[in-house]
Amino acid sequence: MLFNSYTFLVFFIVVLILHYLPFSWKTKKINLLLASYIFYAAWNPPFILLLWLSTLVDYFVGKALYAQENVHKKKMLLVISLIGNLGMLCFFKYGTFLLENFTHLVNLLGADYHPAKPNIILPAGISFYTFTTLCYTIDMYKKESKPVQSLLDFSLFVTFFPHLVAGPIVRPPQLVPQFASPRQANAQQMTQGLFLLTLGLFMKVFLADGMLSGAANTAFGAADPLKTIDAWTGVLAFSGQIFCDFAGYSTCAIGIAMCLGFVLPNNFLFPYAAVGFTDFWRRWHITLSSWLRDYLYIPLGGNRNGKFRTYINLMLTMLIGGLWHGANWTFVVWGGLHGFYLWVEKAYRDSRKRTPSPVLATTGKDYIRSSMGPSFTKPVEGYFPPETNHPKNFYNLILALLTFFLVNVTWVFFRAPDFKSAWRMLRSMFVRVSNGIPVLSYLDIAKVAIIIPLLVAAHWLMRNTTILKTAGKTPWWLLGIAWSIMIILIMLSQNASSSFIYFQF
Amino acid sequence: MPSSSLIKAGILSVLLALLAALSWEFYLRHQGIKIAYDDNYPLWADKRRLVYEPADKAMVFIGSSRIKYDLDIDYFEDHTGLHVVQLAVEGNSPRPALENLADDPNFKGKLVVDVTEQLFFSLSPFAEDWVRPRIKYYQNITPTQKASFEIDRLLESMFVFLDDENFSLNAMLVEAHYPQRPGVFPDITFPLDFSRTTFQRQAKMTPRFLTDTSLTNRVMNNWRFLMVGNPEKPVRGDTLQGILDKVKSQVDNIRSRGGDVLFVRTPCSNFVRDFEVKAFPRKEYWDRLLAYTGCKGIYYEDYPAMAQFECPEASHLSPAQATIFTKNLIQILNDEKGWIPKKL
Repeated sequence: MLFNSYTFLVFFIVVLILHYLPFSWKTKKINLLLASYIFYAAWNPPFILLLWLSTLVDYFVGKALYAQENVHKKKMLLVISLIGNLGMLCFFKYGTFLLENFTHLVNLLGADYHPAKPNIILPAGISFYTFTTLCYTIDMYKKESKPVQSLLDFSLFVTFFPHLVAGPIVRPPQLVPQFASPRQANAQQMTQGLFLLTLGLFMKVFLADGMLSGAANTAFGAADPLKTIDAWTGVLAFSGQIFCDFAGYSTCAIGIAMCLGFVLPNNFLFPYAAVGFTDFWRRWHITLSSWLRDYLYIPLGGNRNGKFRTYINLMLTMLIGGLWHGANWTFVVWGGLHGFYLWVEKAYRDSRKRTPSPVLATTGKDYIRSSMGPSFTKPVEGYFPPETNHPKNFYNLILALLTFFLVNVTWVFFRAPDFKSAWRMLRSMFVRVSNGIPVLSYLDIAKVAIIIPLLVAAHWLMRNTTILKTAGKTPWWLLGIAWSIMIILIMLSQNASSSFIYFQF
Repeated sequence: MPSSSLIKAGILSVLLALLAALSWEFYLRHQGIKIAYDDNYPLWADKRRLVYEPADKAMVFIGSSRIKYDLDIDYFEDHTGLHVVQLAVEGNSPRPALENLADDPNFKGKLVVDVTEQLFFSLSPFAEDWVRPRIKYYQNITPTQKASFEIDRLLESMFVFLDDENFSLNAMLVEAHYPQRPGVFPDITFPLDFSRTTFQRQAKMTPRFLTDTSLTNRVMNNWRFLMVGNPEKPVRGDTLQGILDKVKSQVDNIRSRGGDVLFVRTPCSNFVRDFEVKAFPRKEYWDRLLAYTGCKGIYYEDYPAMAQFECPEASHLSPAQATIFTKNLIQILNDEKGWIPKKL
């Protein structure tokens, strides 16, 4: 079920009514769990079996892991969970990709191998809920938190519909304790939740789908080299589209959960105002970057084994993070470019300070916790300002614009369907192509030329605050007018419900 | 912000948004604009699921835009007792829909294929870019999309402003006639009054369109650009034979299951007719299509009652003409082709 659909509107009203009727807390949790299954099954009912399987395996394996003292048996249980979760993810998400690459490889080696193309459908949200359950069992293995006692609470933690299909990726300590006692939103939380839901829909329906997707699709869909202005307009349009689409989803999710009395971790903090790439990854898809930090980068050794290994671990993390986004080598290159930027930034900072940079040189988890995202520097309780040592001055503004420029280069690999298209787009952006063709109308160019600077300016102005804090400082009548404009523009967009980009991941 | 201020802001936003929506709705109704439905993927998918009705209960139509205007669905249903399933898609070839129905083992019905040669025999991806996504949408439709369609249909039956093609922000921006960029394919827009779509997917011109020559001229200019100015050369030789082979195979497939296919050439006039007759000579295309597939066909010019239509914008019939065309079509289907199960 899409947040930007009429079905969801009706569904959400029914869920809210049930949640605020005088039932027992257990009944309300059962209602939420059933609603979450309906929410998921509304796409493709059979795939709910995978969700149940994942939930049951990890619930029982998690309990056993925590209680098991025998090291070998413990490892065996962990392997069972990893095989279950990652095996499912590999089959559905990477099965075709792996087979294609294997076929290519053996044919290069001289074999004449041409298997039938498998027709594997990707279950919605599998990357997200797999990471959610995976972190639980790993935490149990490390005894970093206590096992969830009730299957109902664990099922609801995995399946809770606001975060189920596209995050934010939640950890057990963030959500499970909230199921312990009855939760209802008060009037302020309810209004804040509805405000965030409106804002998220505005970002998705009006900005991403209505204003920006057209230019991005046309530019990236062109079969010929483009004029420089068309190439840049297309890339900037995608830059805005991917942010408004994904951050829009997260904002909706947080708002919906808030209306029910729950708090989900924040996932975006004005990333296009990031000063450098360490800062960018503190602000973009925060719950994924912190997940990769805690469950990949640190287990790889983090920065504890010297400079060289730190660089390697950082790059590996970014490459795998890239592959998480999609089964295509273009995503790996996207991650690799980000890894390279982080290398350069770290080397530059280290050389300037002549002492290891605080971002990457502190040993152990504390460094990582402070470097890769704010969500674990203190408990996430909704929107809060990031801890930042970048004051809003002209120098940092130039650095932020440089970061934004470089981020746009990476989006080319993220959006292009293959390397040929990506190179064609990069050539059109940076080389004066004599045969470049125009594909975008003046209207498309005007939309991007207005929206993207406004978006970046808004990120810069709000980089050290939050949406709700800003809303709180605005006179009520002005906020009411701005809110109504968002509702009117959503209504005027009239887009047929189109899926969120991150659903495919 | 104190809780009461936030709540006040929320209430104000709802009131202002309601006021804006209702004012917009009243303004459009005051302009004489009537309810119409978005002819989008869900509406097409809703009709596509109806093709499984038995042949003595329904008739399926595929084609390009002409049959959407020229077939008066209410009249057809009232006078034949058959349910019409309209699957034509404007600006597109019916061949992808024919292929889809031929590949569907459960389709055993009677199929009328509207032929506009320039589209029917086109190999351009643009002649398939609206119908293929509709087929894909139908094949992959989810329960939530079905539910959203039912709610959307209810809302569209109540509000004029819920009209994606004319009153969405993008449609209104395009309609604002901003300058066209040299070298870029221009935005081709049609006046609102040219096409109002019913829930059954019949397209109708409004009375205003039929009396306002500036509107008809605007549409005719579009045809001059899109049809007469189309650089795609008519297919010939092996390419044409390849298309005919595929069509025959698809027709045979449907017939082998007990279904049947009939081709119909719908009217055009003025410069559009002159262009089509010259670019796609009847003998080389229409006659060959019928001969090769062994299907029955109805060419409008063979019937005096249909031959004299003067289309308002040279390519489609007005609602009144559509009723006359449909009346004659029923008569031919009944008397000559034996396609109406209950003899009239």
